[in-house]
Amino acid sequence: MVSATPRAEGAARSAVLSVLSVVVLLAGWEVSARVGWIREAFFPRPSSLLSQFQLLLRDGTLGLHMGATVGRLFWAFVLAAVPGVAVGLAMGVWRAARDTLDPLFAFVYPIPSVLFLPLAAFVLGRGEPARVLTSAVTSFFLVATNTMAGVRQLDRGILEAGIHYGATGHNLFFKVLLPGALPWIFTGLRLGLGFALIVVVAVEMVGAERGLGALLWLSWQTLKVRDMYVTLLTIGFLGLLTTYGLERLRSWLLPWQPKTEVRR
Amino acid sequence: MTGAAAGPGPGGLRADVRAAVAVAVLGTGWEVLSRKGLLNPAYFPPATQVVAALAEGLSAGELFPHVGATLQRLVVAFLLAALPGLALGMCMGLWGTVRRVADPYVALLYPIPKVALLPLMLILFGVGERAFVLTGAFTAFFQVVVNTMEGVRQVNPILVEVGRNYGARGFGLFWKVVLPAALPGILTGLRLGLGLTLVTVVAVEFAVAKSGLGHVVWSAWQTLTTPRMYAAFVVVGALGLFLTRGLRRLQDRLLAWQTSVDVW
Repeated sequence: MVSATPRAEGAARSAVLSVLSVVVLLAGWEVSARVGWIREAFFPRPSSLLSQFQLLLRDGTLGLHMGATVGRLFWAFVLAAVPGVAVGLAMGVWRAARDTLDPLFAFVYPIPSVLFLPLAAFVLGRGEPARVLTSAVTSFFLVATNTMAGVRQLDRGILEAGIHYGATGHNLFFKVLLPGALPWIFTGLRLGLGFALIVVVAVEMVGAERGLGALLWLSWQTLKVRDMYVTLLTIGFLGLLTTYGLERLRSWLLPWQPKTEVRR
Repeated sequence: MTGAAAGPGPGGLRADVRAAVAVAVLGTGWEVLSRKGLLNPAYFPPATQVVAALAEGLSAGELFPHVGATLQRLVVAFLLAALPGLALGMCMGLWGTVRRVADPYVALLYPIPKVALLPLMLILFGVGERAFVLTGAFTAFFQVVVNTMEGVRQVNPILVEVGRNYGARGFGLFWKVVLPAALPGILTGLRLGLGLTLVTVVAVEFAVAKSGLGHVVWSAWQTLTTPRMYAAFVVVGALGLFLTRGLRRLQDRLLAWQTSVDVW
């Protein structure tokens, strides 16, 4: 039940059980595949996946595709984050901006982002810029709405205290408003980065020569099951990095803020 | 609003009116620019043509099977995922042992873009509904697990303590104290899970399926029947709008007692 257990003991037990869980699963998988209880054509044993991973890493395949994905992810994130924070701040501060943009956001935001690929291709041609722009759309909305919410949830008292201490104009903005909204901005950035990865992989699966999504698609069409598992795990690793990496950065930059919950 | 804003916040009737005005202004501007040839009409056909395509698709009943296909996949995937997701999430929230055993897998699989699982599902089940629906189900499953677990874990220990002191034990304690207190987190997980599943389902349709709204957009893109493409866009947007805003309102209404809980 929900009860307080001593922290240190819990942490140690936690690590042991988690490691044990993974070891048991991997060993069970390995043995069942060797004995033939599960079909290796579908579930290749972990040891063969490891050697395939090393092979793909050494011949540069994984590096090439991962580089393409990370590059797209980076530019999509920049394209979403910079205007997202700017527009979000504007919407938080000015009622007019909020009133004008909010209905537009409400309508466009829930459209699944892959569908923007044709639109982006119409404007930019079928190529890299269209893929990056498509991946940035939903992230932009996530960053902008969370930034706006961050400004709007600011305690009036804090704002007034800032004003009383003589903060005006850009001082009020940089010293009071921005630090106060920062945790929310970070939440928006984390959600945006996670979402951008989803769209990048989806777009790569649909139409790109390089990238982890393209590799995944190719390994399906050529029925290279081992390549597929290796690619999936690489994408998972990238997902872990984007989800927990930004969280780490946040707690390092904003040590005074408590952890926010994991939420999309 | 608690925690991260997952999208534009709730709005009242006035917001709906504003949205209608914004859409009308945008549509008129689009119409004029397209007719004047400032926007390439092959890519951006006049809004009236889109409306005509939408009306034709709906009245001739041609779009309905696709709307039905998308909805069916969405609902089946969600139902398939919600119950096991709730069960696992609650167990992970209630019992540390379960959490420690399952945590490595949830932590690794939760951030993976679930579209990436599509090729694996296609290999395991062949190109067909089962693969499409299961890919969608994984999306909802992990979202529900994570939010349910967090919801249960964030239940105030004092509430549990009070419940115990008043004699609640075992199932009674869970049903009367833990579950109601965890409900906001649980409902958030279900809502976000459903929204994200729509994203995955549409991406799957865009990539391989031969029916559904995602497929309509893809095929209309390939054949450059753009009015039809935008008509599908509008339908997906309406569906998404309902899922994000409608369910948000439903959640707020269901949890109306939340605000009054400390009054009595």
